[in-house]
Amino acid sequence: MKNLTPLAEIPVPRPQPERVYATRLFDREFSFHGLKRLLGAADYGKAGDRNANLAATSETQREAARQILSGLTLEHLYDHPLSDDEGRVDAVMRVNYDLDLDALASVAKMTLGQFKDHLLRSPALEVKRLGPALSGVMAAAVAKLCDVHELILVAGKITRTSHARTLLGSPGTLSSRLQPNHPTDDLRGITLLCYAGLSLGAGDALIGVNPAVDSVENVSAILRHLDLLRRQTGVPTQICVLAHVKTQLACLARGAPVEILFQSLAGTEKTNLEEFDISVDLLDEGYRTMAERGPLAGVARQFMYFETGQGSEFTYNKHNGIDMTTAEALCYGLARRYDPFMVNNVTGFIGPETHLDSFEMVLANLQDHFMGKLLGLPMGMAPCYTLHSNISLEGQQIATGLLAAAGANYYMDVCLNTDRMLAYFDTSGHDVQTLRETYGRLPAPEFLEWALSRQIFARDADGQVVRGPSWGDPRMFCRCEAEFQELRSATPALPGFETAGPRPADQLQREMRMNQAIGREAIHAELRAGQLEQIAPLRIVETEACSRQVHLNSPDLGARLSPASRDRLSPERNQVQILISDGLSAEAVHHNLPDLLPVLLDGLKGRQLSVGQPLLARYGRAKLAEAVADRLAADVVIHLIGERPGGDALSSRSLSAYLVYRLWDPQVQSAAARFSGHPAIRFEYTVISNIYSAGLPPLEAGSVIVERVCEILSRQAAGNRLEALARPSH
Amino acid sequence: MPTEVNLVGFDIGTTTTSAIVASAQLAHNSVTGRTEITSVNERYRSEMIFTPRRDDGLDVDALGSYLDDCLAAGRVGPEEIFGGGALLTGLAAQGAAAQAVVRLVKSRLRDALVATADDPCLESWLAFMGSSAALSRAHPNSPLVNLDIGGGTTNLALGVAGQVLRTGCLFVGARHVQVEPGSYRIAKLSRYARALFEHLGIPRRIGHALTAGEVDAVLDFYMNLLEAELEGAAQPTDDPLIQQHRQVAFQLPGDVSDPIVTVSGGVGELVYAHLRGQPWPAVTRYGDLGIDLARRLVASPKWAGHFRKFVPASAGRATVYGLLRYNTEVSGSTLFLPRAESLPLADVPVLGTIAPESPAAHVDYLLGFARRSPRGGAFRIELRGRDGDLIRDLGRRMAGCLAAQAFPAEHPLVLLVSENLGKVLGNYVTDWGAAALNLVVIDEIDVPNAEYVQIGRLRNQVVPVAFYGLREESPAV
Repeated sequence: MKNLTPLAEIPVPRPQPERVYATRLFDREFSFHGLKRLLGAADYGKAGDRNANLAATSETQREAARQILSGLTLEHLYDHPLSDDEGRVDAVMRVNYDLDLDALASVAKMTLGQFKDHLLRSPALEVKRLGPALSGVMAAAVAKLCDVHELILVAGKITRTSHARTLLGSPGTLSSRLQPNHPTDDLRGITLLCYAGLSLGAGDALIGVNPAVDSVENVSAILRHLDLLRRQTGVPTQICVLAHVKTQLACLARGAPVEILFQSLAGTEKTNLEEFDISVDLLDEGYRTMAERGPLAGVARQFMYFETGQGSEFTYNKHNGIDMTTAEALCYGLARRYDPFMVNNVTGFIGPETHLDSFEMVLANLQDHFMGKLLGLPMGMAPCYTLHSNISLEGQQIATGLLAAAGANYYMDVCLNTDRMLAYFDTSGHDVQTLRETYGRLPAPEFLEWALSRQIFARDADGQVVRGPSWGDPRMFCRCEAEFQELRSATPALPGFETAGPRPADQLQREMRMNQAIGREAIHAELRAGQLEQIAPLRIVETEACSRQVHLNSPDLGARLSPASRDRLSPERNQVQILISDGLSAEAVHHNLPDLLPVLLDGLKGRQLSVGQPLLARYGRAKLAEAVADRLAADVVIHLIGERPGGDALSSRSLSAYLVYRLWDPQVQSAAARFSGHPAIRFEYTVISNIYSAGLPPLEAGSVIVERVCEILSRQAAGNRLEALARPSH
Repeated sequence: MPTEVNLVGFDIGTTTTSAIVASAQLAHNSVTGRTEITSVNERYRSEMIFTPRRDDGLDVDALGSYLDDCLAAGRVGPEEIFGGGALLTGLAAQGAAAQAVVRLVKSRLRDALVATADDPCLESWLAFMGSSAALSRAHPNSPLVNLDIGGGTTNLALGVAGQVLRTGCLFVGARHVQVEPGSYRIAKLSRYARALFEHLGIPRRIGHALTAGEVDAVLDFYMNLLEAELEGAAQPTDDPLIQQHRQVAFQLPGDVSDPIVTVSGGVGELVYAHLRGQPWPAVTRYGDLGIDLARRLVASPKWAGHFRKFVPASAGRATVYGLLRYNTEVSGSTLFLPRAESLPLADVPVLGTIAPESPAAHVDYLLGFARRSPRGGAFRIELRGRDGDLIRDLGRRMAGCLAAQAFPAEHPLVLLVSENLGKVLGNYVTDWGAAALNLVVIDEIDVPNAEYVQIGRLRNQVVPVAFYGLREESPAV
């Protein structure tokens, strides 16, 4: 077990007043107030940094920033720790200073430009030696000076292996984490997706499920099931359920097989504490617990697993003025403290507010991989996207090709690229095998032996490993056809298993791509107010998002009423107000409202509730309901809003109903504050989702919403507090 | 999170009786959007016993003890049973004691469980589901007929992609001719066998031994009858012998030809055991013609290839497994149930079908039946493909009829809907709670053409629903 340096014993220079970094180029003056602004401006322009006003406004300004940065020494960066908004060195920054000071001394006087050249000139061992000498800020600064070839070349020199039941990251290998996520954690669906992945030769890094429900009972049940599958198939790998670290430790305490401990990390303490509910102390406790009592203690060299990705700090507006790349590198400095088995980067997951298009996503991934490897981490990559960004499958594939060239340890296996729980698009087992064949890579050695024995792989006449007769056939793990069919009946978005070489057969690709195309179309469709007004009289309001592009790229604007609309509304003090907005699918509104709204209006009237004339808002986000509730002084706002489309064409018509309860009564607010632990809580939410023809039909949804609103008003509670009051056994 | 429930199945047949007690999970299927019974885990599977008999009828006391023993061995009390069923089948269902056994089961297992006798279409459906449903789903483009051949009857069911489309029942079975084991000396003949002997000119009585030719003649008749039913070959419907052997006529639809054929029941189990390499049991070891019938099936040029190629999941206990696994449906989770305490509801007659196009007078007429029925009434509500306006209008029309005839507030009224529309229909029928009615709207269930429905208690937002008295023909409405 690695000794964890107590935080108080990590020496960190005192933060200094911000200085101005300036230069003159071609008769133009460029200046940057503080190191954070300099680092932000030196990066490739990315949406998150632009939205945070940290990105350069021109290419020349960016190059000016780079020129200044290139001339700063590593020692300068060491002497100027980045502080938080209160001027303190936060815990994440402090951990980043837990360095090999002797190694740092050997290069401290180098400028960043010289240091980059040193990395390019040096052999692999020297590059590897310098990792522990660098803080996240230093790694980020170098990354900002590198072009694509350099990001690939330097990262490619560095081998970072890790070992549990399988050895990951050794030269010539490319592994994968199997991610058999299911929208309801149905063990049948999870089983089939595991079988499908294993049959593709995926899962040698880990079989890891993101649970839909983060409870000790549910996570323990999934862990036990994965353990059963591992034993039944005999596959040499490790298992994990990616719940919160507290949940996993509780599972471990109850005897569940928590083989690898997972946690998402952010690059600022504020994000970690307030959004992820983790601290360095908690992670320390998790690490020590796993080292002493984890099922793989004494077997595995490492047992921690972290997920990171550019932009989470910005999304929560807790970035302390630090750009996305630097914040990401600070995550790695924190992850390094625990000598992890895996670090998985999911840059691209959030959406266009952080990474607008394929180009931004590809560059960010190359930077992340470079920084992680440089700092000493066994980096796995998951270049991914959501449909409301401008990132395409082709962009993702370009990223995987470049990252494979750079030596990424592993990719994800999300069956046919479509995550059925998280509604995003990641790499697949087919992608992993394609890259193995393209770049001459093999799975982890222990896994390869098993896969050869199951004829997933075979050796050809020359002894080369090739796809075997069972490759791609998940039926090989089923006792009979009936079992296979039973598993399949519980697994959504799975049109088939046919393959063409290492790729999915064209018919499957066409279906999956059409689903994505329809989803994107729904996102970019506009509300047709005239049609909707024929269902019932509506009042039109606007948000601060003035266009669809602004709406997609700046989610906070869609949560606010425009000044003109705000002025037009005044307190009406109705019990219920209906608000309709497009959210991320105007099609969802148009397909559901004709059936839903008449039932909803009939029901609210039938239950004798006072109801304001419904509002219709273009470019709305879920929290727009709060602004409306405040302005109209409504008790409950029913916000009917289009959901973010995923990988199923029909579900791109899926609507959600957010029932937003305004806690205006001081007694009710006190009860809600006590229940939630948030003293300033102002609203409680009950959400009814999946309203569409193949989910909760809109007619029925209208009735369900009425019943739930009556329940909220009679019990004066919504969300989890309502559930606790109304259904205590649940 | 899935919820654990208990299921039981009791099959009291002509020859044998068996039981299974199992735990299972109620879980949401994100593909169908419905709550399903999954992860069935058999907790107890009884030995297959000869159906207890006394004085030429069923031994009710012995069956009661057997039932108690099975529940005890399965560690489940009557109150803890979520679903399943008990079924008297074949000739056992026809004796005088059959209804006494039904009453016994109901008294032991309470109202939540279907217990019924002489329900041949239900038996055919259950046998198909219990044996060949998964096989049928695995070959979704091929029609499949399962022949559940027991002691007294052969229950036929045609299914496609796991869904039963047609059922039928013949008095063809192993035990119409009972013999002394090891010989063909007749020990007992059913009335069907006596008629057949007379038709074939076999002058044998109890104590006489059948010749090989006579056994063949009996088996020829059975095989011809079975093959004719499956081929849709014209059988002389006015032939009294055929009519006597046909309890429920089975007819393949015109567009179905050459279906996959599977067999289940005791005879089916012998067929597949032999094909797995087990030797045939000794001549008439079980004291009937079951082994001989199985041999003829294996030798059938039409079906032998099917039996080798298409092997169902379960043959010998198809009915009891079907009872356990498929007899209980699970309602949708947004059913309309303002008075959960009114459940369970047992033996509610299904009185007809109401559709959005039904005129108010017709709706009023049907609801009047329910008002007069001592156990209330249930109606199939046909909403497929109807738009929202029509459905809301139907709800309002029914509300008007119920108000006009002052439908008693405590009288059970059950509406059965295939679509996920339970709450909306219930709310319109009760005028959004203004009308005091003991109304239950069960949605998201396949509503068969049945005479009765049984509804269990609410569990995890859903209720168990079972039907019995299945009919092939459409009811008169």
